[in-house]
Amino acid sequence: MVMKSVKNANYLQIDHKVKNIFQVEGVTILTSPGAWEKYNWTRKYFSKKPKEGYFIWLKKQVNFPLFTCVFLCDKNITQNLQNLLIIEKNLNIKFQGICQAVNKNLLGVHNAGGKIILKEGSSLKYGHFHFWGEKDIVNSCYEFFLEKNSKLDYVYKTLSAPKKLKIKTIFNLFARASCKAKIVANCKRTETEIKDNLILKEKEASGQVQIRLVAGKASKVSAHSKIEARAESKGHLDCQGLVLDEGSKISLVPELLCKNKKAQITHEASIGRISEEELNYLRMRGLSEKEATNLIVNGFLTL
Amino acid sequence: MKKDLLRIENLKVQANGKEILKRINLQIKKREVQALLGPNGSGKTVLGQIILGNPKYKVTQGKIFFEGKEITKLAPEKRVKLGMTLAFQSAPAIKGVKLIQLLEKISQFSAKELVKGKIPDGRNLLERDVNLDFSGGEKKISELVQVLALNPKLVIFDEIDSGLDLKRLEKVAKIIKKEFIDKKTSVLLITHSGAILNFLNPKITNVMVLGKIICREKDYKKVLRVIKKYGYEKCKKCKLLTN
Repeated sequence: MVMKSVKNANYLQIDHKVKNIFQVEGVTILTSPGAWEKYNWTRKYFSKKPKEGYFIWLKKQVNFPLFTCVFLCDKNITQNLQNLLIIEKNLNIKFQGICQAVNKNLLGVHNAGGKIILKEGSSLKYGHFHFWGEKDIVNSCYEFFLEKNSKLDYVYKTLSAPKKLKIKTIFNLFARASCKAKIVANCKRTETEIKDNLILKEKEASGQVQIRLVAGKASKVSAHSKIEARAESKGHLDCQGLVLDEGSKISLVPELLCKNKKAQITHEASIGRISEEELNYLRMRGLSEKEATNLIVNGFLTL
Repeated sequence: MKKDLLRIENLKVQANGKEILKRINLQIKKREVQALLGPNGSGKTVLGQIILGNPKYKVTQGKIFFEGKEITKLAPEKRVKLGMTLAFQSAPAIKGVKLIQLLEKISQFSAKELVKGKIPDGRNLLERDVNLDFSGGEKKISELVQVLALNPKLVIFDEIDSGLDLKRLEKVAKIIKKEFIDKKTSVLLITHSGAILNFLNPKITNVMVLGKIICREKDYKKVLRVIKKYGYEKCKKCKLLTN
């Protein structure tokens, strides 16, 4: 499904090589090193001169989803991407990013970080999907800036987890900005560490973070999810984990930090196992134990 | 003997160390409709679940046969493949799984075609999570759609008539008659009130009390009359139970 869509990608990178950039009217798409050279103002968003990655600057309304693909194809490749996505005022954008190892045993490293800037009144629906091999190492660190009245609907899914996975996401919300973030990881034979921080910086900002984690065979999963309210604002955390294997574990740490007496922030967290009642019900519908488990897990990960 | 679709011999069943079913014997022939009546907690639902092989319950003695093949230790999914199924009295919700997804996994028929021609009320449920926030009536429809999707040889309906008003009850009974009984599917109707029996006319009515089948009667009206008049209390005093 992913490979079929590659030819439509606005930015396609395989290992270190940029294979294709498909420009769209009203949008500037460059490599990040190219943007660093061409636009001095981008330098405030990059911590240092980027080695690789994409720069996408949306200046006009685009009525179809933009799409990026980053692949690991060869063995022992280490990617270090710095990405920058900027959406100008009042635009309403759909965006999809796919990062994937094409084979299971590539021993690749994918380090990716970046900033996503939503200017005043803009909105972004962003789907970010990862598929990795069992021996890869992945470090992902993204920071979102939601200016006044902007709106983010973000879904991050790791559907096939690497050997080691670290995901850090920071959401900075200014006045009346709103954010719905869903972080989903299906982990098997992996060590996964998730950190996210929703910072409600200005009045009437509102955000909701939902986390769904599944610890399959031989997995250690930890999530530290935080909301920090610095102004009159609203936020909610919903963290749920499902442990499938005796040798696996999940640790969930929700944290609320309130610095304004008018702020309202809440959380809920739970970790459970697959319900025997649900499993037996599906088996009595003709599904094998494995098929029934997969169906329940997929349902759990559907947000 | 050969005509028995389901045969249960001297079955004893335990759950949490407690004996729930005591020496159950039951035979259902091909194309036959039978009823199983009994008070709350008599073991009717457990019998339905154990026939389908719910691993929650443990058979300590006795055997179950389906089409002459012993299935006492067979996994539930393999029993379903042989052609048996159960409409649950109280089905759990499967969050995040739409009914249409489940139907597509378990059935060879198109889910939309299935409900369109046969159970139109099921159409509104297809895009909803299985049993999540379903009303009592919706749960019954969902169960009917699912058992129909499996194209079974034997269906056990566990309290399909409970909590339904007369109009809905008649509707459900009509679906059971048209889609199962008229198509020669064997049916076991587990019911506490017996309300549905007037629509479906079972050939044999069994009465279960305290984990035993104490009565097997051809005239279901006679059984209903006795229960209506005396309640199941009279059955509990039946000498067959003490024997």
